[in-house]
Amino acid sequence: MKLLIVEDDRSLSRSINDYLKLEGHICEVALTLDDAMQKTSVNKYDCLILDIGLPDGNGLDLIREMKTRKLTGGILILSAKSSLDDKVVGLKIGADDYLTKPFHFAELSARINSIYRRNNFLGQNEITFNEIRIKTEDNQVYVNETLLILTKKEYDLLVFFMANTNRIITKESIVEHLWGDNVILTDSFDFVYTHVKNLRKKIVAARGKNYIKCIYGFGYKFIDT
Amino acid sequence: MKLLTKSTYYFLILSLLAMIAGGALLYLTIKKVIYKQIDNSLITEKSIIEDQIRQTDTIPDFEATFGHRIEVKLQNHAIRNYQSIKDTDVYDSKSDSFTSFRYIYSSGNSFQKKGYVITIFQEISEKNELLQDISLYMFFLFASLLLISILINYLIARRLWMPFYKSVQIAGRFDIQSDMPLDLPQTDIKEFNQLNSVFYEMTHKMRNDYLNLKEFSENAAHEIQTPLAVIRSKTDLLMQQKNLNKESLSLIKSINEANTKLFKLNQGLLLISKIENQAFHEKKIISLKQIVESSLENYMEILQLKNIKVEMDIRDEALVEMNDVLAEVLISNLLSNAVRFNVDNGFIRCHIDKTNLIVTNSGLAMTIDPELLFRRFHKGSDNPHSVGLGLSIVKKITDTYGMEIAYFCHDSEHEIQLRYRRKIH
Repeated sequence: MKLLIVEDDRSLSRSINDYLKLEGHICEVALTLDDAMQKTSVNKYDCLILDIGLPDGNGLDLIREMKTRKLTGGILILSAKSSLDDKVVGLKIGADDYLTKPFHFAELSARINSIYRRNNFLGQNEITFNEIRIKTEDNQVYVNETLLILTKKEYDLLVFFMANTNRIITKESIVEHLWGDNVILTDSFDFVYTHVKNLRKKIVAARGKNYIKCIYGFGYKFIDT
Repeated sequence: MKLLTKSTYYFLILSLLAMIAGGALLYLTIKKVIYKQIDNSLITEKSIIEDQIRQTDTIPDFEATFGHRIEVKLQNHAIRNYQSIKDTDVYDSKSDSFTSFRYIYSSGNSFQKKGYVITIFQEISEKNELLQDISLYMFFLFASLLLISILINYLIARRLWMPFYKSVQIAGRFDIQSDMPLDLPQTDIKEFNQLNSVFYEMTHKMRNDYLNLKEFSENAAHEIQTPLAVIRSKTDLLMQQKNLNKESLSLIKSINEANTKLFKLNQGLLLISKIENQAFHEKKIISLKQIVESSLENYMEILQLKNIKVEMDIRDEALVEMNDVLAEVLISNLLSNAVRFNVDNGFIRCHIDKTNLIVTNSGLAMTIDPELLFRRFHKGSDNPHSVGLGLSIVKKITDTYGMEIAYFCHDSEHEIQLRYRRKIH
């Protein structure tokens, strides 16, 4: 996937760049709105990761510009302002998703994948990992071509894992992904364990391999060892 | 004591003193004038009689002036010259009472050296009655004068002080959060204009300071978000490195936890300042019952894990008019407290009726003052994950909508009560 990161904070944009490169994406970084305007007019990107508060203007202007020039490619808004207005306006004028700083890279990765799937494989949405195949348009999971019956949370968890294979995912980011910001106020993430356990059990029961590795005290890793 | 009462009070006392003194002085003066008049008439009459005696050596034929009684005695020898005017009481056997008289006693000698004694009495009770009448009129006159002047004084003072009271009243209603300027009354009194301009300047400065502070905390909260995101991104990257040992992982974990806590804290403060800024001004009719039910679903996993029993006692939809985001924050904060500070195998009871939402939960006994819980950064537990903002956010929201929130603790049972005005339609 070819991505453009529009973020004025050098340190943050470099981190995003590094992480997404690890995921195997091709990334470019624009530090200003001007720079981003130029880059988008020359190159075609699969997805834009766009900060709204830029030193030389509002990121929302770039979205408007891209839409008037009918440029394709997904847009993920990144903002320090968790202001509802920005979010509503951004989504209205054509952004695909919205992420508030600070975020987990696992979450960023999952969102980018989801935007990419929606924009590029119309009607053909599938994620595969060895014997596991997910048909995302009708939320079905097959292991060795047997249909798994999963709860909503287990399904979301599996998709989240598949978007972040070979990475350590903290329990915290799982909770944030599955339950949203509100529950993050709780201090124990032990209840995540129950869901992971059930998911693992179901995959193994369908003669799938146990890919979910527990990193003690930290979280999990979805990995084929 | 009110200024007006005080000034009237002083005025009353001072004018009363002045009037008593003036009244007494006037009384004495009038009395003196009357006596002088009596004495003069006594002397005049005496002189007439005396003249006649001196010329004729006989008791003249005289007719007493009205109210005078004259006694004249002649002697055959000379006597000492003497004259005095005095008061006396004479016993009247007819009416069995004393009557007051003023009398002149005069003795002298005629040209033939024969002595005579003239005594003339004048009844003075009549004159005393006159004096009494005059005093009475004077008293009424003074009293009514006093009353009228007090009234006038009161009315004038009240009118004069009117702008002052108005200014005080308006300044008292000053709301630092609204941008309405103080509408102080115009007046032509210099001092009050000074007072008003002091009020203006003070409130203006207060409001500016407040806005600066607010802007600062908002900006600070926003600016902190990006560094927080940087820290999180770096730890995320660090975490993915191969060959990390257990120690490094645990270090990263600590950094992550601290960062998350800072993030939550920042989010909480940002939320509070947004509520203060009335960023959530849109209102809807909200069913608290529905929010409670949907919020509880978020906690199903934790509730199962801790084996907490939930009892619902719902008697009303509990419709209120408020912002939907804030309603969710309010309810989820209350419920998350009930879940977090609960014990294994505990319970949560939720009672909803027309005006009350009561959440009761089991937990550990509390040792700090419940009222302090609603303050920022006051924690009822030493839980390292808790930032101590939840209930102050709750308080902020309830204050915004004129709701009441109270916390009670009976041993290990915690009860939080939310009172609201039901939306009637």
